[in-house]
Amino acid sequence: MLRLPTVGRALAGAAKGSLAPSNTVRTPVRAASNMVEVFVDGKPVEVEPGTTVLQACEKVGVQIPRFCYHERLSVAGNCRMCLVEIEKAPKVMWHTLIVWQPVAACAMPVMKGWNILTNSDKTRKAREGVMEFLLANHPLDCPICDQGGECDLQDQSMQFGSDRSRFSEGKRAVEDKNIGPLIKTIMTRCIQCTRCVREIAGVEDLGTTGRGNNLQIGTYVEKMFMSELSGNVIDVCPVGALTSKPYAFTARPWETRKTESVDVLDAVGSNIVVSTRGGEVMRVMPRLNEDVNEEWISDKTRFAYDGLKRQRLTQPMVKDSSGQLTPSTWEDALTRVAGALQGVQGSEVAAIAGGMVDAEALVSLKDLLNRMNSENLCTEELFPMAGAGTDLRSNYLLNTGIAGIEDCDLLLLIGTNPRYEAPLFNARIRKSWLHNELRVALVGRSVDLSYTYDHLGEEAAVLQELANGTHPFCQVLSSAKRPVVVVGSSSLQREDGAAILSAVSTIAQNARTSSGVEEGWKVLNVLHRVASQVAALDLGYKAGVEAIRKNPPKVLFLLGADAGCITRADLPKNSLVVYQGHHGDVGAPMADIILPGAAYTEKNATYVNTEGRSQQTRVAVTAPGMAREDWKIIRAISELAGVTLPYDSVDEVRSRLAEVSPNLVRYDDVEQANYFKQANELSKAVNQALLAAPLVPPQLTAKDFYMTDSISRASQTMAKCVKAITEGANAIDEPSIC
Amino acid sequence: MASTAATRAAVGASKVVKPIFSRDLDEAKRRVRELYRAWYREVPNSVATFQLDITTRQGRDKVREMFDKNKHVTDPRVIDMLVIKGKMELQETIHVWKQKTHIMRYFHETETPRPTDFLSKFYSGHDP
Amino acid sequence: DVGHCCPVQVRKHLDKSRSKMFLSAAFRSAVSQTARQVRSLHRSAARAGAGGIFVHRDTPDNNPDTPFEFTEENIKRIEAIISMYPDGHKQAATIPVLDLAQRQHGWLPISAMNKVAEVLEIPPMRVYEVATFYTMFLRQPVGKYFIQICTTTPCMLCNSDSILEAIQNKLGIKVGETTPDKMFTLIEVECLGACVNAPMVQINDNYYEDLTPKDMENIIDELKAGRVPPPGPRSGRFSCEPAGGLTSLTEPPTGPGFGVRADL
Repeated sequence: MLRLPTVGRALAGAAKGSLAPSNTVRTPVRAASNMVEVFVDGKPVEVEPGTTVLQACEKVGVQIPRFCYHERLSVAGNCRMCLVEIEKAPKVMWHTLIVWQPVAACAMPVMKGWNILTNSDKTRKAREGVMEFLLANHPLDCPICDQGGECDLQDQSMQFGSDRSRFSEGKRAVEDKNIGPLIKTIMTRCIQCTRCVREIAGVEDLGTTGRGNNLQIGTYVEKMFMSELSGNVIDVCPVGALTSKPYAFTARPWETRKTESVDVLDAVGSNIVVSTRGGEVMRVMPRLNEDVNEEWISDKTRFAYDGLKRQRLTQPMVKDSSGQLTPSTWEDALTRVAGALQGVQGSEVAAIAGGMVDAEALVSLKDLLNRMNSENLCTEELFPMAGAGTDLRSNYLLNTGIAGIEDCDLLLLIGTNPRYEAPLFNARIRKSWLHNELRVALVGRSVDLSYTYDHLGEEAAVLQELANGTHPFCQVLSSAKRPVVVVGSSSLQREDGAAILSAVSTIAQNARTSSGVEEGWKVLNVLHRVASQVAALDLGYKAGVEAIRKNPPKVLFLLGADAGCITRADLPKNSLVVYQGHHGDVGAPMADIILPGAAYTEKNATYVNTEGRSQQTRVAVTAPGMAREDWKIIRAISELAGVTLPYDSVDEVRSRLAEVSPNLVRYDDVEQANYFKQANELSKAVNQALLAAPLVPPQLTAKDFYMTDSISRASQTMAKCVKAITEGANAIDEPSIC
Repeated sequence: MASTAATRAAVGASKVVKPIFSRDLDEAKRRVRELYRAWYREVPNSVATFQLDITTRQGRDKVREMFDKNKHVTDPRVIDMLVIKGKMELQETIHVWKQKTHIMRYFHETETPRPTDFLSKFYSGHDP
Repeated sequence: DVGHCCPVQVRKHLDKSRSKMFLSAAFRSAVSQTARQVRSLHRSAARAGAGGIFVHRDTPDNNPDTPFEFTEENIKRIEAIISMYPDGHKQAATIPVLDLAQRQHGWLPISAMNKVAEVLEIPPMRVYEVATFYTMFLRQPVGKYFIQICTTTPCMLCNSDSILEAIQNKLGIKVGETTPDKMFTLIEVECLGACVNAPMVQINDNYYEDLTPKDMENIIDELKAGRVPPPGPRSGRFSCEPAGGLTSLTEPPTGPGFGVRADL
């Protein structure tokens, strides 16, 4: 082999010039950049070395058909749909025979000077051939297939397949599997792309068994595929082999209206698309947001939507003389509430905000109570108020951000089970653990997080040792380049929450100084569990209902408060309880007056996720019955009570939000918080001892995951999941379908 | 469009605008009178043709009311445009291109006023 | 030596049987017989003994509670196997450890696969994938002696049918069955790569070649008596030498200096 690159290049250039006269004018090879120049259908494009053919094509906007390739999964290269012809890539066999064969674009790295032909005769022929093989064993049941209309195989066979079949033999059939109440399997439709096997959840339950023509996807043993992210295999599956069980045979994609929205069932704020038909939510699907949920959502987000149709409060109710809640009119209910409010002043009225309340409702309720001279506004979730408390925003945010986890090299989790408290956050940790050698440590009850971690113990005393630097793990912590400490909001609910937060703050501050990381890097993080918490704290709500318990009010306003923090027993006999919310769950039965509100799919509302990112939901369906948007109800009460709030439209409410806290209306933007050092200084003033009790997050196993709020508690699908997990998949009596 | 033209005419009288039909206000008024007369004569015919449950007098009162509604207009171009519209209505009425309900719509008896203040909007429905 | 998980299968040339391939009558009967046996093209060879389906069904003798523990000896072997692979690549030891489990238990119940997964710290599904892929992993119970008879074309042309018949008559079982005393399991397999010594059977790790029905009966008798007859051809030839005696290399190799000019 001649080692004369310049000569070789000149020769190659000359040869190409003579072959393709249109490409004779060529920029000289840039010595400085190590980019590789390739051509896609003659169009030049510069890509980094190691780029695959498929990615190079995507860079110039040419879509290569594919089944097994998925941006976020490892490359398998087994469907062969992405075959393309490459000029200048002859395969030399047996030394002399030169074979021009198509290459699999998804797995082949590009080489300098290749001309990728994405629409040549040979490429088209190859695709047609692959398609014929794929369809040979694929059933012709598109009319009864739930994937119909959004099926990659359907679309691509229309685009690239042959218009007739030569296949007259019998088709292969594969037995269906029962893998739980969420995912319906019709394995005969499977084309063995193995995307589901390579799925992100980290639960390796699915696999390929057998070989050759008998290869099939399944769990081999009778077993449920129940991870908190299992629903994503439905999106990943390019055909109708894995589809949604609750959605089966309910709607077609072309007859649904899609509304881009945000999930509020946990504090991550996953971006979702709500598919509706005729005023009914048919399904929930993920929407791409690289900074939050990438393109995945948790099973609760995806499948709890049937809870939106059950247990709903549809008309105002008032307790009559016999103590029964009876349906009433808005005029009546609102007048009663307003009358009660007019009769009290100052601290005699209080409000508790629940976990799924939007910022608009929060600000109008706060304005209303402030006009009554009351500051008794609380959230259900507790947060220690000692030290800096909620005065410094950095104290209660996931400051590093969800995507920021990918940049860190050491993660210390304290008293949290992110797998069930924030599944998408956990998926990020796992991703980082897989690809970036992230080291994870956990203080608290040892749980299965789907990746390995150092368990440092479950007593709160470990935190003290870590803060003092006496714990052996401190050496690891101090050698980390980019450490992150995440404390679960559940562990701050304890009596010694302030002491825990103080210890965590010290650990974070020590780690920051020892790592010498740049100023912008955030170490301390709080992982919340409910969607409303950050917005409520931003607006100045007090965390925790302790104040109300100490000083029981005459009128208590429950705004979607369903955690049961306050019971009738905590209140004086003659007090009036008003419940405003969308589900008849825990809060409504103890109320004297019930005002039906809208759920997150029924209103334009602002929610702030745990990292402080404000996002908005949009109206997908109309609220059922006489239910109204929450802020409007409060605005109506204010008018009747004679303290009219100065806003009539949602835009005006949002300008009020901007007055109180401008970050709340800067959508999709994370307002950075700082003052960690000052917060730490203040937290040192906390004079509280750590309790001996171990740090146990409330959600330990999968069965604690499914039913955590009023919507998912009303959902039958979620109930089935819990039943399937506790009693096995066969416990659920599913009608045998298809 | 007409209103912007009107404001423009009001603001800068110096600016010469192209008339539609009438060169001055008197000519425009003449056209209005002509239209009013035509309507006045047509009312008894319409009451008969459409078998309306009103008297001729009521019809003529309504015509007068409709003309009075625009009596504040002083721009000849706007008046011309309104006259054109009035003629169109008249033609549709004479040729029975309208139906009974369309005629009776001038009398507006069944329409409830849309709620304007927050509370009545709140009571009346989800998103009025 | 645990490394030898599979018997060495030497691919031999088909030259002997190739000439016979063109005997049209035999060939046609072969084709028609195949057509009669196989209803659809998609059925693979009868591997009932090794577990024909690729999903697991709990049975009384094969369920997650089937007792299986590696013996002390095998645990040491597993350690040795795992130490051959770099850190964090325990998964690479799946095949040898599965083989060890099979050798210990005779076949692979689901509990053994779970145990392997536990030992290698990988999800059980990854073990099932491997175990179902390779036909030599037996996922259903077999007898002590697992007879695999080759009935692919070259063996069939050398009358493997008579061997099959001899086995069936001798043991009183059909293809895919096990004798009541759990001593013998018989299955039909595709080519085992010993065509030059056709017809042949594989019993556990041993190849018995150049068989006649009588040889086969002898072998079974020996096995029943608790002795393992020596593997290899029964026709007296050595390994896969030509059947009619050597045609070349018939004399001892010549010494150095052979064919060299005498004056050198």
